[in-house]
Amino acid sequence: MAVDESGQAFRHPAYGMIEGLTSLPGVDLAFTTADKVLTWGQANALWVFPMATSCCGIEFMATSANRFDSDRIGTIPRATPRHCDVMIIAGTITVKMAPRVKKLWDQMPEPKWAIAMGSCAISGDFYRDIYSVVPGVDTFMPVDVYVPGCPPNPDGLLEGIRRLQEKIRNKRNGAFVEPDKRPIAGLQAPSIPRIGDPDRDPAIDAAQLEAVQQLDPDGGMRRSSAPPAPTRPVRKED
Amino acid sequence: MPPLHEPIPPDVLEWCQAELGLETVPAEGPEVPRDRLLAFARALKDQHDFWFFLYCASTHYPEEGSAGEEGHKPDRTLVAYRVRRLPHAASGRPTQTFPFRVWVPTGESTPSLAEVWVGADWQEREQFDLVGTVFAGHPDPRRLMMPEDWPGHPLRRDYAIETGHFPWR
Repeated sequence: MAVDESGQAFRHPAYGMIEGLTSLPGVDLAFTTADKVLTWGQANALWVFPMATSCCGIEFMATSANRFDSDRIGTIPRATPRHCDVMIIAGTITVKMAPRVKKLWDQMPEPKWAIAMGSCAISGDFYRDIYSVVPGVDTFMPVDVYVPGCPPNPDGLLEGIRRLQEKIRNKRNGAFVEPDKRPIAGLQAPSIPRIGDPDRDPAIDAAQLEAVQQLDPDGGMRRSSAPPAPTRPVRKED
Repeated sequence: MPPLHEPIPPDVLEWCQAELGLETVPAEGPEVPRDRLLAFARALKDQHDFWFFLYCASTHYPEEGSAGEEGHKPDRTLVAYRVRRLPHAASGRPTQTFPFRVWVPTGESTPSLAEVWVGADWQEREQFDLVGTVFAGHPDPRRLMMPEDWPGHPLRRDYAIETGHFPWR
């Protein structure tokens, strides 16, 4: 913000659009830093890659369609990761899908961000313990904003995009704060028994590891005529 | 309330009783011996016009009792098939379906029906992938749903869920 001859503050009309834009009175000239212009451009043209694998994808489509129209804030879905700035993971990611998601993420040019949309992308939700589901995409790729909900409605996704814009601006301004903290102190996800947990019977762990070793490592009908017949040990009664 | 199983068409019921030597045929379908399955399926398609393959679905049954004792049943899977024929205008026949089942002991295989009904191809791949039923002579015996290097078959009763081969757990 500049000061004119009379000592009054002078505000350029574009001031509200680019934060930190200053101008000289009577001169058709404005000053800012390259960082701030880049930030303004990046935060307002977040082209998204819709990694929509299940029902959250429907809410994502609703957000893009004309009622909520996320195009108006620059969030344009593109069909290839090479055009995109943000990956929105909308849906359950399975063990088979995870390497593909990672590959698409690696194809996106820097700078890039990720939004985990919905409970499944955040933590796996109630599919978390299924043998084929990844318990949250942040186990194999970075996530900037988590949008909770099952599925979150378009307002929620728009709020998530707004939070991401805020995060981009704050990071450029040097005032970066982690926007998403766990809201309630002491709130934890329920613990899920795993091999090697201290509160589990070591005998069960040993039996299960042995059962794993009995599984056919090839897993193919072509290679072995007999399918594997591991024995499942009895679970400890809680 | 409609019955759980559609009734078996009378003409196929008679043929089936004569062919397999059964006195009664349950509504969920006759149990066909594995060595006669391919000929049975071909006859269903060629003689009885069941050219549409609806589904095949496997269930794993763990071993019951111990070997040598009375009532011992080995570790096995049950494959349930259902095929359909479309309405026939000349005879006034409506759409009808026909079920049949095969028991497959673990470690042995059942003939693939993909050469009779092309629609059985991916269905049998799915059943192999998830339950582990082996279909002999299948044209493309790869996994369908799980990753290619997945160990074991997840819908078997003895599948150990805590396999610990997830790099992210």
